[in-house]
Amino acid sequence: MTLRQRYWLAAGAAICLLGASGTAIAPLAAQEQIAPSKTLTPGKGSELTTARCVICHDATHITRSRLSRAEWEDNIQVMIKRGMPIAPDEIPVVVEYLATYYSHAAPPAADSAPVAASAPAAAAEDPVQKLLTTNACMACHALDRKLVGPGFREIAQRYQGDNAAPEKLARKIREGGVGAWGAIPMPPHQQLGSADLALIVTWVMRQK
Amino acid sequence: MADKITGLANPEQGTSRRDFMAKVAVAAVTAGTTIPRLASAQTAAKPPADPAGVISNDVVMAGKDAALKMHSERPLTASATAEFLADEITPTNRVFVRNNLFTTEFSEANHVVEIKGLVDKPLKLTVADIKSMFKNTSTVAMIECAGAGRTAFNPVPRGTPWPATGGMSCPKWNGVRLGDVLKAAGIRSDGAHVSFTGADFGALPTIPKVARSVPLWKALEEHSMIVYGMNDGPLPVVHGAPIRVMIPGWAGSASVKWVAGIEVLSAPLKGPYMDSSYRMPRHPVAPGSKMPEDAVSTEGWPIKSMITNPAPNARFKIGKPVLVAGHAWVAEADIERVELSFDEGRSWQNAQLNAKAAKYAWQTFSYAYTPRGPGYMTVLARATDSKGNTQPIVTPWNPLGYYWNGIHRVGFSVES
Ligand code: HEC
Ligand code: HEC
Repeated sequence: MTLRQRYWLAAGAAICLLGASGTAIAPLAAQEQIAPSKTLTPGKGSELTTARCVICHDATHITRSRLSRAEWEDNIQVMIKRGMPIAPDEIPVVVEYLATYYSHAAPPAADSAPVAASAPAAAAEDPVQKLLTTNACMACHALDRKLVGPGFREIAQRYQGDNAAPEKLARKIREGGVGAWGAIPMPPHQQLGSADLALIVTWVMRQK
Repeated sequence: MADKITGLANPEQGTSRRDFMAKVAVAAVTAGTTIPRLASAQTAAKPPADPAGVISNDVVMAGKDAALKMHSERPLTASATAEFLADEITPTNRVFVRNNLFTTEFSEANHVVEIKGLVDKPLKLTVADIKSMFKNTSTVAMIECAGAGRTAFNPVPRGTPWPATGGMSCPKWNGVRLGDVLKAAGIRSDGAHVSFTGADFGALPTIPKVARSVPLWKALEEHSMIVYGMNDGPLPVVHGAPIRVMIPGWAGSASVKWVAGIEVLSAPLKGPYMDSSYRMPRHPVAPGSKMPEDAVSTEGWPIKSMITNPAPNARFKIGKPVLVAGHAWVAEADIERVELSFDEGRSWQNAQLNAKAAKYAWQTFSYAYTPRGPGYMTVLARATDSKGNTQPIVTPWNPLGYYWNGIHRVGFSVES
């Protein structure tokens, strides 16, 4: 018997439990909660910050926070310990962005045309770019340099003229593997269907 | 080309996630100088898609009651608040969710737990071994996130925004005693701590595994368990199936889900889940300050209570009794009394305490209150334990927002 049932028997009285609004009157020290945004405010550095920070956790971890510059600097060191890949020269850009838009001071208005500087708007619509970002490929790969895995340009150069390469690479992306470039393995991506893989591999092979 | 790729599947040639994670632990990828800037067009606003072997939030939440509200999508966290937690034994679909990484699915047949470290006879046990080699038992016990109630702190510390009364549950756990398993491996005399490592994984191979340790005495306490079932039913995947640890009454992070490694150590484990998260200052610190260097790891929850009836803003009639009820709990003591106040703390009366279901279960209290006049009223509950500790009005602030146990206060209306 639940406590409530037992009480009904014991009290034998009609008790109206109406309006369970769910909004507990706050404990004595509580504050009003506002639902945090699920995307970062557009502005200088928002793209890089999203790419580096919205992988392990959603953007609300950032958008619900208000930290000083020093606290954001500390936070980035903690995230590196948590396994975040980031280049040393990217850190100041990310800190500047976070300290501008997520500090205790009122944030500036969202920048209306921030994307243009780093990526043409058309690229955002590109299905291959979309696949690369939604599948976190760009957390480990860059176009022109080694990150966790090899740069896509380097990959394209290595397999130039190899007719078996597209199928081999598609299989490798899907199933993961190690040894072609070093001791760090690539995880499997079994969520990718054959059409998506074909798009990605065709794009990779063109990066030379 | 697309057609050719369809025929790819030959999974044995691939790298399993587990191999992958194991290798990466060695080939540590750190933020070294070789990591360059981005390629163009980094426009993802949402985290990358879930990898294979992960159960989606939609599937997890479909198995939960509508009273559970999501607090973050990645990692998934969700809880119901006090008015939905009146049951003495929390139903499975109302048990709160706190992942550190993904909701990972492992086959019961293949999952292995290794017992190692300072033991005479290291063991590798399947779930079937655990069920057949050790006495099967169960207990009703509290599990509560260290950060439960975090949003009641002012200022609100970073971390999962648990509601003032969300992030705690008291289900029945089915499994075997952790101590029986450790004793079967033979604990060496220099063993003083026991660590648990989860098999769950995150979005990048560089993410450390979830791992926490507890002192040996707590691991050997007879209510600490290796768990394979909840409320006499299967253990849901999001709660750590096929197998997890359950350290009753302690900050929930000690109760590692999807446990794959149990290691006897001579000192507390080192790692991000010990040295960066789940830490408390030794003494209260000024609100907004940093974690002191000499902070300590979270352990058992201090004395706490909450009011489950009435629900906030419920309406009642003058002269008709109102059920005031709730739960009180504390990790390593007993509940001495629960007092209620209907005049904002000017006077207090004792509530009736029911027997508790087990040593680490929460204890329900009740009181029949008959309102004599109209208006908006409040009820406050304050519990005291057998060591003489009483709940504070407001919990001292701490940098990670742990152990909120301030007095719970609920408002209701009385009409003529
Ligand atoms: C490799 C994984 C990873 C990446 C990448 C990452 N984080 Fe985190 N972050 C974590 C983990 C793990 C936590 C603890 C989360 C939790 O509560 O489970 C966390 C928590 C946070 C929190 C909440 C506060 C806290 O201390 O719990 C903030 C704010 C945050 N991260 C900001 C960032 C920012 C800014 C970036 C990019 C510069 C970033 N994160 C990138 C893993 C990561
Ligand atoms: C967690 C890091 C990581 C992620 C995420 C990742 N990769 Fe990789 N990738 C690697 C590593 C490491 C290698 C090198 C593996 C080796 O040495 O065999 C690699 C290799 C490759 C190669 C070359 C394979 C070969 O055999 O030469 C391609 C193509 C590739 N990745 C594409 C992708 C695509 C597309 C995605 C997203 C769907 C992706 N990667 C996601 C780490 C990653």
